[in-house]
Amino acid sequence: MKPLLLARQVSYGPARNPRLTDIDLQLAAGDRLALLGTNGAGKSTLLQLLAGILGPTTGEVRVLGQRLDQAAPALRRHIGFLPQRVPAYAELNVVENLRWAGQLRGLRRQALDAAIERVLLTLQLDKVRSRLAGRLSQGMLQRLGLAQAVLHEPDILILDEPTAGLDPLQTEQIRELLGALSRRCSLILATHLLDDVQRLCDRVILLDGGRKRSEHAVTPDTDLLAHFRQPASRTGADA
Amino acid sequence: MIGAIALHEWRRLRAGMMFWLLLAFGQLIVAWLSFAQLETFAGIAPQLKAGASTLGAMDLVITPTFNTLVLLLLLCAPLLAMGSLAGEVQSGRIALWLSSPVSDTQIAIGKALGLWLATLPLLLSSLLTLAALGLGVDLDWPRFALAAAGLLLFGLWLGCITLLLSSLFDHPAAALAASYGILLFLWLLDSLSGPEAPWYWFALLPHVKPWLAGLLRSQDIVFFVATAGASLLFGSYALARRRGDT
Repeated sequence: MKPLLLARQVSYGPARNPRLTDIDLQLAAGDRLALLGTNGAGKSTLLQLLAGILGPTTGEVRVLGQRLDQAAPALRRHIGFLPQRVPAYAELNVVENLRWAGQLRGLRRQALDAAIERVLLTLQLDKVRSRLAGRLSQGMLQRLGLAQAVLHEPDILILDEPTAGLDPLQTEQIRELLGALSRRCSLILATHLLDDVQRLCDRVILLDGGRKRSEHAVTPDTDLLAHFRQPASRTGADA
Repeated sequence: MIGAIALHEWRRLRAGMMFWLLLAFGQLIVAWLSFAQLETFAGIAPQLKAGASTLGAMDLVITPTFNTLVLLLLLCAPLLAMGSLAGEVQSGRIALWLSSPVSDTQIAIGKALGLWLATLPLLLSSLLTLAALGLGVDLDWPRFALAAAGLLLFGLWLGCITLLLSSLFDHPAAALAASYGILLFLWLLDSLSGPEAPWYWFALLPHVKPWLAGLLRSQDIVFFVATAGASLLFGSYALARRRGDT
């Protein structure tokens, strides 16, 4: 069976100073994968490559067996992406932002209206539907970003530090929402919060200096901190 | 999808303060100038009639106001376009665009059309104001229509050029500075060199003025279409480069 998402020997950046080097990863339906690493480890760059925002310098990214590049923009319909900064227009309200995100992903008329109503309810944005995005709290803005990412019901949801900058209560709420959303699609998230990994993911890839250091299964007993502290000598799968 | 992108761009601009300020400023300038010129024309009209002059309201009121409109568009278009792509990059919203199933070419064309839509309220309101003069004075309507079409094409051309410059920068202020620099250069190019210079073809005024004076030349159409097309091509190439695809 073809994996949903496959990255093969992916590198990005100039040969002398690459931001990512020879990354391999695979995501099957229902997988929940975390990318863990310190600042500058290459997590965001890798997510942007997987979302089709950047093209790899060498190697390839495949979605449902097809190469993800400029020649096949329609493949990006299978992906929902929430970057670190929520891509919302401050001068438009919540519904207008969602409407545009849906239109960009090919949703039209009744399907778009129904999708907007669905995500407004799922992400508890209904009460602020007419509020300008520039006037939302950080937690609400993050929900709007999530709503934009899942509006078109993608097969793969890619999230870049979805709980960064949130207070503990908002963090908990976003984690609960992500837990519910991840039952409907495969999930990849970048984080440096071990709690996010433990709560939301069943597999983790550790990145260090743009390279894949190791890959582990995540269970309630997994000592993520020990893996994180491990010297950068081990590579490959280690379940 | 191109139409949806154009409408979104227009909606985004309309939701901001800049659009309304520019529209109000532009309408004020056009109204003031056209009435000042009309007053002057009314003052000298008896002498023109007595001297059997061929000059009329078209030459002394409408065409000068069209020239002012060109200048206004040159001032306003970079302000509207500066955030078009550079602003998306600066705010991080470019991720929404580049992760969507839309090609770079569609984004470039849609955004340029959106910028053109944003110049239409100023253009159309000014054209209606000037056309209203036809109720009181004789106007050369075919010449008026030709000049109006030239202005509309010029607005579209500006949308393409300023979009390209917005695609090259990460900060709207840098895109704005580059747009004013390039447009000023093209505006002054004919006075910096003679018609025999190879780059004279890129000078803006020799292509705009004949059209506004009612002279439609194929070389002017080729200039606008070719440079606008090249701008869109390079604009989508700049987006592809941003991905690292090229």
